[in-house]
Amino acid sequence: MKFVVIALAVVVVGTLRVGRRRRHRRTGASAARSVSSPFSSDVGLITAREVRERFRGRVFKVTTLFILLVVAAAIVIPVLHNGKAKPQEVGIVGMLSSSLRATVTSSAKSVDVTVHFVPESSVTKAKTDLHSSRINIAIVDGRELLVKSPLSSADNSSGAQLVRSVAENLGIAEAFQAAQLSPAQSETLKEAKALRITSVEGGKSKSGGGNASEATSIIGIILIFVMLSQYNTWTLIGVMEEKSSRVIEVLLSAVRPIQLLTGKVLGIGLVALAQASLIVAFALVLSKAVGSSLLHASAPLVVVSTLVWLVLGYAFYCWVYAAAGSMVERQDQVQSLVLPLSLPMIFGYIMALTGASSGSPSALLKVLAYLPPTAPFAMPVLVGFRAVTWWEFLGSAIISVVCTIGIARVAATVYRRAILRTGARVRLREVFNRTER
Amino acid sequence: MNAIAARELLTVSILSHVAHVLQIEDLRRRFGALTALDHLTFEVPAGQVVGFLGPNGAGKTTAMRAIFGLTDLDAGTITWNGSVVGQKERRRFGYMPEERGLYPGMLVGEQLQYLGRLHGMTAIDASSATATWLDRLGIADRAGSKVEDLSHGNQQRVQLVAALLHGPELLVLDEPLAGLDPSGIDVIGEVLAEQARSGCCVLFSSHQLDQVEDLCESVVIIDNGHLVVAGRVDELASSGPRRLVVRVEGDRSASWAQGVAGVTVSEVTGGEVRLVLDASVDSDAVLELARGAGRVTKFVFERRRLSELFREAVK
Repeated sequence: MKFVVIALAVVVVGTLRVGRRRRHRRTGASAARSVSSPFSSDVGLITAREVRERFRGRVFKVTTLFILLVVAAAIVIPVLHNGKAKPQEVGIVGMLSSSLRATVTSSAKSVDVTVHFVPESSVTKAKTDLHSSRINIAIVDGRELLVKSPLSSADNSSGAQLVRSVAENLGIAEAFQAAQLSPAQSETLKEAKALRITSVEGGKSKSGGGNASEATSIIGIILIFVMLSQYNTWTLIGVMEEKSSRVIEVLLSAVRPIQLLTGKVLGIGLVALAQASLIVAFALVLSKAVGSSLLHASAPLVVVSTLVWLVLGYAFYCWVYAAAGSMVERQDQVQSLVLPLSLPMIFGYIMALTGASSGSPSALLKVLAYLPPTAPFAMPVLVGFRAVTWWEFLGSAIISVVCTIGIARVAATVYRRAILRTGARVRLREVFNRTER
Repeated sequence: MNAIAARELLTVSILSHVAHVLQIEDLRRRFGALTALDHLTFEVPAGQVVGFLGPNGAGKTTAMRAIFGLTDLDAGTITWNGSVVGQKERRRFGYMPEERGLYPGMLVGEQLQYLGRLHGMTAIDASSATATWLDRLGIADRAGSKVEDLSHGNQQRVQLVAALLHGPELLVLDEPLAGLDPSGIDVIGEVLAEQARSGCCVLFSSHQLDQVEDLCESVVIIDNGHLVVAGRVDELASSGPRRLVVRVEGDRSASWAQGVAGVTVSEVTGGEVRLVLDASVDSDAVLELARGAGRVTKFVFERRRLSELFREAVK
């Protein structure tokens, strides 16, 4: 969370400096000193209005509720699914001693499934039941396991895990029997534990939790995409509405364009951060409550990096969308702008999702993690894989902040020149060509 | 004494020492082939309601937007009490743009307070001024309504309050009478006169020259971006040749007045003829001519109308 606060502070200070420097150039040093206070208080007023109106709006309430429901479903459904899993039907051909039955039951428990024993009159009958899927496994005289189809090593389903576990444990039991060990010796061997492993270098183990952080980073990427799309649309539409309702002239008769622009993106940014924090807090509490594995192991780091990149991603894109909003004043004009604007985001999103599901980070993903438009998606994936050091993470964040300041300056120029031009959609060429302004 | 009253008292006492003035000097602005402002120069002194008049497309809106930095200028300067107008000065101005604009979904009271605060008011002052002005304009009960739920006339009133709320030193209203009924026009007239009396510089535009004659003490008339005529309405109206309005019963074409030496027919409307007399013309001779055409029911000298002034100036 500290990262989030620091990143937000850097972005805020950066954007305020853009405004100050612009004013300084225009009015000279003495004037700049005398109006430095109104600048910050005006931006504060504009930000406060934006936050108040957004929180009050129905869109905010509905989208927050919707995202919370989706997150809740993503956390609760897998847990419920595991809890309510049907018992595995285990056919027994011939005899299976009670101790071996106990071995099968405990093997099943070790892979989080339950078993139900079904007596089978013959091997033929057991095979028929396997074909018709009435039973999942058949144990013949406690010495042989029959399954419907060959198991692949990549199959991680609960059925496959059960078969492996039962095969292993029955094999051990048979070996104990063959070695003619006393029951006490057998028990001692059964209770044997693996040796404690101590690593000579610091840090947490990379194993056990890879799946969880991978899943968390996938959910994180989806959240970043959904939320960035939502906040960017708010910024674009918010700027456009001020232009189309003509309130812009009243506002700009009192404040500078850069103040209005900064207040708006800060206000929406704060609402975004509040919404994202609420969702993450909700996800953490709910995961803890229902015992989900989603936020175990390295996943908390992924959560923090997702939040950091949500803020950095918003800071980068919000200026672009605000500038675009200043160039249009009707919904039909928005349509032609939205697709080209969202292409970098869609590209980053797809590459990051593909990367997160592939199991290892590709070279392309590592490159994308340093480019500000795609870094918000790619970097959390690298964090999920533990494929990035803290200084690489910080380096990418600094690149993003520096580019954000550059983008903010260009966007402020576009906004200032386009926001008061009404009628047809303003073209970039017109904005930068003095004779066409 | 409430905060508004105290502010007004303070404003008046300051004004007794410093009379504000807005000076527009040599403004030039072209939009491609169109010249919007062409070496336009005039000034708006404190204590007067100045009508900024001209036909549609004359450049009034461009000039007003320039005062607020809402349009770039090719050349020219705008000064307030001798200093070039910047953001600090504009915060003390009030503006009602030609294309009305407020946040449609925001509550009237909150919106006005917000705009007041952007002009540097404290929250308490903004709240109290909002209540005072909404009450004054008869819409106090709509403070909790959304702007989009108000009638057109009431939206106009809210827009006017937005310009007046912070007690501006300069009030610039672009076509404030457009779309208003007669009682609305009366209210605007009262408010403008009151603001001018309190020492405010008041500039308002209109393309309906004759409609605003009674509302303003001075006028600045422009056409094609340049100044046509400027001065006090009384002086401008009483200057120039005499104007005579004659009604002859049953005569609607005023053919009797055509071709009379030294007499020009300015307009014929509703059975009345408006004549412009040269200095050499004897009005008794004109009366005799009228009598020859029928029974004379009206024969009065009138001031020059602003529209006539304009037509004569651009001839």
